[in-house]
Amino acid sequence: MTDTERKGAVLPVAKEPGDTVLDFLRMAMTKEAADAVILPMKVPSGDSYAWILMNDISLLDDAVPIVPTMPVQGAKALRSLTRKGPGNLKVIAVMRPCEIRAAMELSKLGQVHSENLILATYDCPGAVQLQKYVDDPAGGDERFSGMLKKGNPDDSAKSVCHYCENFSIFDSDIHFGYLGLSEKEVLLVPGSGKGTEFLEELGLDLKKDLSSWEKGIEEIRADRVKTRKNSFEETEIQLRDIDGLLSVFANCIGCHNCQSACPICYCRLCYFDSETAEQDPDALITAAEKRGGISLPVDRIMFHTGRMAHMSLSCVSCGQCSDACPVSIPVADVFSYVADQTQNTFEYIAGLNDGDPLPLRQFRKAELPGVHELVKDADAEVPSHE
Amino acid sequence: MKDFEMRESGQDKKLRAKVGVYVCECGPNIAGKVDLDKILADLSELDDYQDVELVVKKYGFLCSGPGKEFLEEEIKSNGFTHLVVGACSPRDHDSTFMSICEKTDLNPYLYRIINIREHCTWVIDDKEKATEKAFSYIRGGIARVLRQSELFEKPLDINPDVLVIGGGISGMEAALSLSGEDRRVFLVEKTDRLGGVSIDLSGLLPGQGEVVKKKMESVTEDKNIRLFLNTRVETVIGFLGNFEIELVSKENAETTEIMAGAIVVATGSELFEPANSDNYSYSESDEVYTSISIEKMFSGEGEAKLRSGMKPSSVALIHCVGREEKNYCSGICCSYMMKLAGFFKNQSPDIQVTEFYRDLCLPQKDDQERYNEAEADGVTFIRIKDISTKGTDVSFEKMNGEKGEQSFDMVVLAPAMEPSADTEELADLLTVPLDESGFFQEVHKMTNPVGTSTDGVFIVGTAHGPKGVSDSMQFARASAGQILTRLIPGEKLIPEVKVTEILEAYCTGCGNCLDVCVYGAIYSDDSRGISVVNEAVCRGCGNCFGSCPSGALRTKHFTNTQLYREVDEALR
Amino acid sequence: MLMRRYHLMSSITIDTSASRKIKELLKFLLESGKIDAAVTMRKIPENNSYDLALITNASNLDEAVPVVPVMTVNAGQVLSSISTSGKKMAVVLKPCELRAFVELVKREQGSFENLLTISHTCGGVFPLELVEKGQIEELLPKYEKNVSKGEVPANTRDTCRACEHFIPMNADITVSVAGECESGKGCMMYFNTEKAEKFTEGFAGERSEQKFDPSVLQKTLDARLAEKEKLFSSTKKDGPGLDGLLDLFGKCVGCHGCSNVCPICYCLLCDFESANFDYNLPYFEEHLSRRGALRLPPDTIFFHLGRLTHMSFSCVGCGMCSDVCPVGIPVAAVFKKTGEKTAAIFDYVPGRDVEESIPVMVYKEEELSDIG
Repeated sequence: MTDTERKGAVLPVAKEPGDTVLDFLRMAMTKEAADAVILPMKVPSGDSYAWILMNDISLLDDAVPIVPTMPVQGAKALRSLTRKGPGNLKVIAVMRPCEIRAAMELSKLGQVHSENLILATYDCPGAVQLQKYVDDPAGGDERFSGMLKKGNPDDSAKSVCHYCENFSIFDSDIHFGYLGLSEKEVLLVPGSGKGTEFLEELGLDLKKDLSSWEKGIEEIRADRVKTRKNSFEETEIQLRDIDGLLSVFANCIGCHNCQSACPICYCRLCYFDSETAEQDPDALITAAEKRGGISLPVDRIMFHTGRMAHMSLSCVSCGQCSDACPVSIPVADVFSYVADQTQNTFEYIAGLNDGDPLPLRQFRKAELPGVHELVKDADAEVPSHE
Repeated sequence: MKDFEMRESGQDKKLRAKVGVYVCECGPNIAGKVDLDKILADLSELDDYQDVELVVKKYGFLCSGPGKEFLEEEIKSNGFTHLVVGACSPRDHDSTFMSICEKTDLNPYLYRIINIREHCTWVIDDKEKATEKAFSYIRGGIARVLRQSELFEKPLDINPDVLVIGGGISGMEAALSLSGEDRRVFLVEKTDRLGGVSIDLSGLLPGQGEVVKKKMESVTEDKNIRLFLNTRVETVIGFLGNFEIELVSKENAETTEIMAGAIVVATGSELFEPANSDNYSYSESDEVYTSISIEKMFSGEGEAKLRSGMKPSSVALIHCVGREEKNYCSGICCSYMMKLAGFFKNQSPDIQVTEFYRDLCLPQKDDQERYNEAEADGVTFIRIKDISTKGTDVSFEKMNGEKGEQSFDMVVLAPAMEPSADTEELADLLTVPLDESGFFQEVHKMTNPVGTSTDGVFIVGTAHGPKGVSDSMQFARASAGQILTRLIPGEKLIPEVKVTEILEAYCTGCGNCLDVCVYGAIYSDDSRGISVVNEAVCRGCGNCFGSCPSGALRTKHFTNTQLYREVDEALR
Repeated sequence: MLMRRYHLMSSITIDTSASRKIKELLKFLLESGKIDAAVTMRKIPENNSYDLALITNASNLDEAVPVVPVMTVNAGQVLSSISTSGKKMAVVLKPCELRAFVELVKREQGSFENLLTISHTCGGVFPLELVEKGQIEELLPKYEKNVSKGEVPANTRDTCRACEHFIPMNADITVSVAGECESGKGCMMYFNTEKAEKFTEGFAGERSEQKFDPSVLQKTLDARLAEKEKLFSSTKKDGPGLDGLLDLFGKCVGCHGCSNVCPICYCLLCDFESANFDYNLPYFEEHLSRRGALRLPPDTIFFHLGRLTHMSFSCVGCGMCSDVCPVGIPVAAVFKKTGEKTAAIFDYVPGRDVEESIPVMVYKEEELSDIG
């Protein structure tokens, strides 16, 4: 994923990387290269954060760019701002890689217009689970500092963070790199043409060699790859056949929090809430009669498999779904496992800036040539029921 | 103090539906194979629905004169709100019963025909089972019809004029077949003259060249054909009956806007470049020619001579040039190569003519005769499995493995016909797909060879694929026939009613539907941030419906709710 | 107690636990064909989970646990989509679920016509967190003890602890779970309506005319009212204006889970999720220029205010909203308190009588003269 020919700029380091980011943003706003920025700020109750669009430089003093937890997926903030069009303001948004990747997917779906946005990311060691943070903000802050130092998530982090390979630079416009660096430096690296232009306009010298930083990132990534493999193997066993699926989702109450928290789920009215998906009561009881009983509300598993069918090609494994679930179902692990497979089937990488168009919207005459083989094999494996 | 309920209780405002259920005996076809009285009795006893009254009857032949009168009278006198007819296949009589509804107050889309003949009595021998199935089907039909909505046809004004793109023989034939007092033709040609390729062809039929010239004269003199030479088509928007086209003059870049109801694509083809094949190598100075250059020589000077001015004493006519590379046979080259062999023989009776071919394709009426004549005349036909040339030296391998080498005074290559260079660009403009070989894709080889997936755009001549002059003219006349019958001056067009609509409240403008619509019927309305269906272009195929994750699209008359309820009830 | 006065038809003394007796009743109703289906809570032993189930075969009732301090979904919400069937159903509802359904029926979102409602005096439910952790079994003994002694169990939903509407005498059949048992009289099953009598003809032999005596639950009621006092005073906002609301709802992540699980929120497409709340860039730019900063996505507090306006006076305090909130905002307490006080202006109590009109749907010539 990293372009080894890329060069970056070195930013003067303040106390913490987060402060460095703020200094850079102040400079950009002072030079009028940006009209406004989107950054997290603490909410009045002090136990969470909210995305704030600000053009008042003084407010940056209270902003926390590298934020310990993820209450609202950043792509949702970008969607609410640019759904109807790019507007006239030039805005820098500083978010986690998975948030910007989700925004790229939303871009392909007409829900984000990023022409006037500078999408900035930073090395992410993971994020503290939302509920854990809200219950004990001070503790959460401490854990997050630990993660920053190690460059890796600890057990307070979301489970997906442990196997995230996309935690550092990809092709967001600009990226702040600091993990795994031996000296206390913050690197500012452009990831796109727009980003390069932006940094050059600000007079930054893009000359720093990135190889030692990239080496450190690759070491962290190697860990994540291993964890990913293990996690998916576990998930596969858990989900084996319908009983496994029913068991994992046994406590689901059909609240749809997972769908609401998901940045990709952009529908105004979820299909599974619409009149079309509604079951006729008489038909429902007839169906119940065939089995002796039926669980209410109906179609909860159908909702999950349907949601997978609709969005797994764009899933960026941000983990918001698991955080939002009131009965602690590992939704993100299940969806990440499925998304990994569906994306691989189409050789599609979700979240890239100049990425391929969405697979299901493209007609390719020669597509999925191996499918009939897959189907034949699948048939052979299915055990006979009854 | 007065208290008023803001609204009456909802109970009082409920719609009472009255559904007529008419089962046709269809003579012995249905009545003889099911227990009709049982079906009627069971249907009459259905208590599935509150506030719905069912009237259940049977009749001998509903499609007969008296039958239709009976049904019309029943609908009127009962004041049905919905109608279900248990009968034969919709292909037979759906429109029959719809027409009956149209004579009454009952909207024809609040009716449904249920096929209990082809689907039940004609495929199930067991009377009991057939009865059961017929009953279930009709029960499902009642559930479905209760969820159907009134739909109304929206007649559209149309423009009967036609745009013909390309002034070759196909374009001219189409233009002449179409033009009239009440229908103008705009004939657009990118070069500075009419005639296309055919103008250079020497006669196959006596006086063929004159046929082309005569067509050119007729076109120029026809006051209902407006001719644009040196002109390109820049943009096309719209749909059948209502196209808006922008033309650009190549001379002075001036634009002209025209309106037309149909578009005929007659942009012809080009010949495969033999140098693109590894088998043929020659330089400019070699006496190697493509067939069209020889045609020009014969039709122009009357003779085909070498550069020196001498007539060749030996000529190799090589068929199937580029056939392997293109993977199709152009179907007309064998015909004209024999014609050329005849011309060479005419100009030099002692000339040695050798035709090399992979397969002989002789589909025209007199091809076989001409072949016999050519053989009798001393033309040598050699079937080869491999051939290559270096200049005018020909190396070949016959089918039996025998290899040979021969040198000739002149080599004539018959290259495959290819799509012309601007085919792709034009296809984009018109939203017409291309086939595997890059020609414009017709709807169906047999049932609709001139139509395309964009209704109103027709393809004729070699733009459709390799063919000769007479076939090209046939295609031109065929497309004219379609246009003449469908776009009638003064009459309106009734677009398909059962199309898809997008519910603005639910649409987020993500564009999934837009991308998967093969008819280009969906466009993006940026001011509202939603996608919109152009109902005149929509064919109701439902691709878009499948692509929308939120169900914001509804295909009229085939909504999920209607289908689910029908299936639910039928399977009870 | 603000239940409408009930009319007792008959009653029986329960010789076993309330849950088992209701199960017996459901079995009787299904086997005799008097109902086509029963809706009740169920335990799924393989997964150690609970769900609400629609049961059509009596043999499947083995898994049923009609009285259990678990609420995975407000049954009133579920009923709104299945009660319009022509089939007869017996439904076991907690008092707040019944009240919620009453509010829904007033809004044409369901029908009592083919339902036989069975409810019970309720000790409150455990939060979903404990259900998910599989701790219900071990918590049950202490819970039952508390309830029978008229005490308020400490670890139930906060709105349950503060609930005074726990005696559902407006159901067709009401079962008392405790109180009377303590006083030595034994648990009772009350048949309150003609419908109840008709359906249960042939069930459980001797009927008496023993009436329900509210005094046995006075201790519980007092305890609940005390809890309500505590809850309402802790859910306080100092004065009018935005500040207190910001403290309460500031960390809301806009998931709308509260509205999704709320039985009263029946709208297919919430106004706040519709295109009405999509903003053009000029809107953001204008706000930025005036205020210097703006939260994204906007309208966090507005959503709650809107929801309060739309439904709070029908709020039955079931507590599902607080339970699903990912950041632990006490939504239920705020809505219950606001709702109660607003409804009181109109002398309205949600869920007590299906014939009672919703205040904003009735035009009174002289109204609210004391305001302003």
